[in-house]
This record gives sequence, C-alpha cells and structure tokens, in this order.
Amino acid sequence: MLKKQRVRKKNVAILLALLVLLLLSALFCLLVGSSGMTPDESLRALFGGGSDAQVRIMRNIRLPRMLAALFAGAGLSLSGLIMQTVLGNPMASPSTLGATNAAAFGANLSLIVFGGGSLLIGKDLFLSGAGEPFAVSLAAFLFAVLSVLAVLGLNRVRAFRADAIVLSGVALGAVWTAATTVLQYSATDVGLSAAVVWSFGDLGRASFPADAMIAAATAAGALFFFILRYRYNALLSGDETAFSMGVNVRRLRALSLVAASLITAVCVAHLGIIGFVGIICPHIAKRLLGQDHRLSIPASLLTGAVLLLLADALSRLIGGGSALPVGAVTSLFGAPFFLVLILRKGGTNRA
Amino acid sequence: MLEITGLSFRYKKSAPPVLDGLSAVIGDGGITVLLGKNGSGKTTLFKILTGSLKPQSGTVLFDGEDLLGMPPSKRAARVAYVPQETVYGDMTVCDTVLSARASYVGVRPSKRDRDAVRRALERMDLLSLSGRRMTELSGGERQKAAIARALAQEARLIVFDEPTGNLDIANEWLTAREMKRLSREAGVSILTSIHDPQLALALGGRFLILKNGKADAYGCADDLTGEVLSDCFDTPVRIVEYEGHKIIVKGEPL
Repeated sequence: MLKKQRVRKKNVAILLALLVLLLLSALFCLLVGSSGMTPDESLRALFGGGSDAQVRIMRNIRLPRMLAALFAGAGLSLSGLIMQTVLGNPMASPSTLGATNAAAFGANLSLIVFGGGSLLIGKDLFLSGAGEPFAVSLAAFLFAVLSVLAVLGLNRVRAFRADAIVLSGVALGAVWTAATTVLQYSATDVGLSAAVVWSFGDLGRASFPADAMIAAATAAGALFFFILRYRYNALLSGDETAFSMGVNVRRLRALSLVAASLITAVCVAHLGIIGFVGIICPHIAKRLLGQDHRLSIPASLLTGAVLLLLADALSRLIGGGSALPVGAVTSLFGAPFFLVLILRKGGTNRA
Repeated sequence: MLEITGLSFRYKKSAPPVLDGLSAVIGDGGITVLLGKNGSGKTTLFKILTGSLKPQSGTVLFDGEDLLGMPPSKRAARVAYVPQETVYGDMTVCDTVLSARASYVGVRPSKRDRDAVRRALERMDLLSLSGRRMTELSGGERQKAAIARALAQEARLIVFDEPTGNLDIANEWLTAREMKRLSREAGVSILTSIHDPQLALALGGRFLILKNGKADAYGCADDLTGEVLSDCFDTPVRIVEYEGHKIIVKGEPL
C-alpha cells in the first residue's frame, strides 16, 4: 500500500508540472509577437495600460489567439485520446472518422461555390469584419457532423466493430477529399486561394466567440468522458471482456465517437486543419501517466494545450512578421517527434 | 445453475449454424469442462453467456432468471469472463482489477467496489503487486491478474476460455490448480473450455461435450472414457492407467 501512495504522489506531481508548464506556455504565447512590444509592455497592455494600439493588440489579437491555442489543443488531444481508446488503435486521431476531410469539403463549398455570392466570404481571406463570419465555420461543422453520422450509420450493420469503423472512416474521408479536389478544380483564383488558405490551420482566425465555442465543446466533452472513465478502462481489456463486465461496448463506442468528433468538428470549423496534435499529445500523456483514464484524460488536455501553445509561439517566432500557419508547424515538428516516440521501446498490446 | 434451451447461433445468414439448438444444464458449484473440436461452438457459447453475441433463438436461464434479457450490469454480477489471451492497458494491477467494476461505479468507486477489488487481489495473492503496472508482470502473473479482474465482478459463475492455451506446462498446471482452488474456496462455479483432454481429466469435475452445435454428452470425469473422447474428437483416443494416473493416448502412431 505504501508503494501505491508513492505512485499516486508521483502522478499528482506530473499533472501539476504539466499545469505549471501550461501556464508558462500560455504566458509565453501572449508575449511573443511581431509588434515589437517588450514583455513588460505586453503585460501592462493586457490589463489596460499603455497605448490604445498596444491594448488592442493584446486584447483583440493575442489573447483570443492564445485562448484558441489552449482550448483547441486541449480539445483535439482529448478527442484523439478517446478515439484511440474506443477504437483500440494507437494510430486513431480526431480525424479518423473523416471529420476533418468533411469539414474541409464544407469550407471549400462555402468559399468556392457561395463565396462570390451572397455570403461574401471568398473576398475576405481572414473572415473578419464584413459578411457572415461563421458561414464557413458552419458549413465545415455541418459536413463534419454529417460525415461522422454517416460512418456510424453505416457501421450499425457491423455492430460497431472498431476495425470496420476505422476503414470506413478512411474510405469516406477519401471521398470528401476527392470531392474537394473537384470543387477546387472548378474554382476561381480567388475562391481557390481562399480555400487553400482555409485549409492551413491558423490560430489567427480566432475570435472570442469562436474561443467560447471551442472551450464549451472541449469542456463538455471532458466532463462526459471523465464520467465514463472506468468504462474506458474496462474497454482496455478488449471488447469481449468489457461486455462481460456489463459495459455496453457498442453504445459506448458510438457515443464516444460522436462526442470526440464533435469537438474536432468545432475546432476544425473555426481554425482549419491542425494536424498531429490529436495523435501525438495523447501518446505523450500515456507515456507519462499510463492509460488509466482518470489520469490520461486530464493529462491529454494539458499536453495538447501546451503543445499547441508552444507550436503557435514557435510559428510566430520563425515566421517573422507573418506567422506561419500553426498546422504546418505541428505537422513539421510533430511528425519526426512522433517517429522517435513510436520507435523507442516500450508500450503495451493496446492503443 | 445454467439452463440452456434450444440455443442457435450463426455468424451470417448464409453460413452454417455454429450452435444448432444446443440444450444443456450446467450444475451449481465445481468445475465444468467444455470439450469439443475446434469450431464446435465453445467460444461462441461463451460469448453468448457474457453478452458480446446475441443468439438467433433459444434461452439461457441463470437460477431461473433470463440471463440474455437482463441489463448488462445485472448479467455482469452473474457471469464473469477470463479470455484466452489477457488483453490489458498500461495501468496498475489494482486499476485493471477495478475496471471490472465499471458498470457499478457511479461518480466514484464505492466502498463495496474497493472491497471487491481488495478481496479479488487477496484471493489471487496479488496484493503485493497491486501497485505494479501490468506491463511489468510476467505472463503467469498477468494471467492471475486477469482472473482477479473477473473475480472482482463477484459473479457466481466464471467462464474461462482456453485458460491454458498460451501457457507452458508449468504455468498450465499452476492455472489449473488456481481454478480448482477457486472452485473450492471462493464459492464460484467455473465453466471452462480445455483443449487438452489430459488436463480435463486432471481437473475432474463435470464435462460437457459439444459436437455439431449440440450437446453430445454430459457427465462427471469418471465417465470420460476413451470411447466418449474418440467420438468427441472424431479421432481414436485411448485411456491407459499408469501408476494410478490416467494417460490419454491420442490417435494412431504416426
């Protein structure tokens, strides 16, 4: 029993360390930027001191951007963790059910087909000010949800077997990508560039209303998943054993996939495609604290937020005046890191 | 304890039935060994009893109650399962065993859940390993953890699917001894499939033979003659006595 207490203390220490890291990353993220403000000025401007321009930069640009990185990082990582658990597949990610590809199609449809028309979106690459700021997001979200429901609907006949779900998600994702290509082929220059820019995950699009939606989706998901934490732990023993423990595996899997995909859909709809956070961060969390969902759920939230905050800060540091899209940074640095992670020895026979 | 009537199951409409109107009674207490060739429906029967497959027809009564129609958490309090291969997550032994209480745990585990876990760990002599990660255990210890996981459900019947299938002979005998000990001391009944008729003989208790999706024979270990086994496996099997042991001689000389 002594050993157990020691283990518990160590786990709490790791979670606290991640929390401290989160606060530091968030602060760092606020202080980095192209305006030439010193950290001192930045902090003062955040609380209303300094020139009008400085206050506006901090409150209207950096703060919503930082919050977007925090909540979307946490949300995508959480979504990835649950996908990996309920599909019993370490390669599962927030977009395994095709949500990301479908969202991209929805956004493209909105930008290319309706962009020049009444919605006035195609002319405004950064979706601020004129027109309907959330029209593209709404289209992206609707298609993501549609795709996820289609995958699950199709899998009713196969009793929600994990392998069939993964494969049909990949297949349907390919259909959305193909449809996107067709759209882009027939697009105008303006529409095409708007569509391509959209597909780069970019935190610069963040606004407080978008942040609030991402935060709400992530928080609701986290609560829902945390309530089911023991059921996810049971699922780690395999479908059949989980059934014998009284867990309704099919329903748990279907509901969890819908909830995880909704978080993904909200993030992608507002920010575009941010790759790899949702696959790497749960793995880092599991490396640190194991697969017990009482720990891996909070740990995944924290690692996801930290990683996206740091990636965003990095994207602005190496991008100079114009920030690189954070989606490019996460994939560029995430993929090699992920390779190191999987090629190191260790791991279990599950997810 | 278990009353199975007219149980039929096929994986696809076009496929031949795996279980074809199986009817059998499995008595309370002790060990019942399920014998049969590969594909005779042993695992399918187990999956039906533990809720991961639904039969096309037939009923299973557990002490007179309809086992297949019960809510999953109620069924879990009656029948637990030890799979052939221990699948586990990267968690401590204690958390792995606690996961078996998943369908009872509300907001957080109750005292009853914690007590069930402690008793299960105690029963399998795993208390000293409870803070260890599953990944750090040996194959034999992991098997014991899987049994503790099933025990934590506090079910009256534990179903073992080929518990010795992947073990070397030393661990095979250890597992068989654990099963015997559990059936005597822990007040649980055991239903197990065993590949090896020799081990089935050694386990004693009762046996049930599945053939062509039906119950072919039922009896106690003493009734398990060479003739019964030959019929079960469709291959000549003789039993010879040697220094008080019954030795199974399989097939013709190669």
